[in-house]
Amino acid sequence: MAGELYNCNPTLTDQQVLDFCYQGFLKLEAVVPDEVNRRTVEFCNQSTLSEPNLILDEDWFDQHVIKNELAAGAVRCLLGKNFQLPFIMANHRNRGPSPVQIWHRDGGSIYTRKLDYLQVFYYPENTTKEMGPTEVVPGSHFAQHKATYMQHMRGISTAVSTAAPAGTIFITAYPIWHRRGKSTAAGIRNLLKYNYWRTADPCRDWIIDPDFSFSWPKHDPNPLFEQFKRGIAAVEMFSWLSGEEFEYTGGQCWPAECGTPPMSDQAGLPASFRKYPAPTPSKQ
Amino acid sequence: MQLKQQIENWREKLRTGTLNDADLVQGLDQLDKSDSPTQRILYLQCRSSAIDGSVIGMAEVVNGEILDPPDNPEDWPYPTISDAIRDGWRIIKFPEMALLLAEDKTYGLGCEFILEK
Repeated sequence: MAGELYNCNPTLTDQQVLDFCYQGFLKLEAVVPDEVNRRTVEFCNQSTLSEPNLILDEDWFDQHVIKNELAAGAVRCLLGKNFQLPFIMANHRNRGPSPVQIWHRDGGSIYTRKLDYLQVFYYPENTTKEMGPTEVVPGSHFAQHKATYMQHMRGISTAVSTAAPAGTIFITAYPIWHRRGKSTAAGIRNLLKYNYWRTADPCRDWIIDPDFSFSWPKHDPNPLFEQFKRGIAAVEMFSWLSGEEFEYTGGQCWPAECGTPPMSDQAGLPASFRKYPAPTPSKQ
Repeated sequence: MQLKQQIENWREKLRTGTLNDADLVQGLDQLDKSDSPTQRILYLQCRSSAIDGSVIGMAEVVNGEILDPPDNPEDWPYPTISDAIRDGWRIIKFPEMALLLAEDKTYGLGCEFILEK
């Protein structure tokens, strides 16, 4: 129930946690059962408050949304054991058609490589592009900017829509740039939003893949950042989540990318992320 | 650009003796249309400080309203700042270079150029 500490099985792998660090969000499509989606919409139609917090007291909602096996499992990976459940449930209930919202990061955003809380969104209905789903800018959780200085911005070429089927939950790093998309369809769009918090010290406490190679990570180029800069920020976050001390040492060190990666670990890779034996001095 | 072409056409007609009053009235009409009292503003966020760098963000102010560009970035009218200049936009503000020098802190949305017509 609201504010309690919760534990469950982790569901994300090294690759998925690293991807979250790069992207700043993770979308889990149609993970909530239809019956729960239907009851959620019914609840929201009866309680049209911007914060229908009483839904947190409903067992069916608590079990299938707040403690949803896949979503809570992902939260468990990113925030560690015994994470704290939401106190507040917001509903961004929007009546379409409506214009696009301005880009923003939510109030209280700070830019940090630490990940102590997560902002999570849940669509209880099919949310097509015409219904004005949230748009996010991948990687922008590291794009330091004041919300008041982004209000004239409109088109961003790297933005993506979160249009998704009913029962989709998407998990975000709190400072990610986002906005409600333009809705052209008539009707109500419900979007529930809530936060989870870390209580445990960070450690690499998710599904560890012993064959996973951290070296020379490959990701689509992101024009928001100079070459390698997003990767550096992302692995700093990943290292913090893993409880690793890490400082980028520059140049081609981890996590600089490479077209044809050699079969070895990259210089600068923290010891606990190594796949191959550490190099030893050659005998003269 | 259109006006320049128009004058070239007039010169040609003058040479051939076919320039008439209707041509000049049409020219005056075009001038009236292009002489809008409202400043148009174009915000273009660019990947680099070079005017031939890729545009990654765009907004246009028309009649005081900030407008979104087409949904698909491939349909945006200006892939680079240079393309906007060629279409008659004038740069009125270059990116604040001094503010871009805080390594690891200042990312924002790249380098912002502000243009007007």
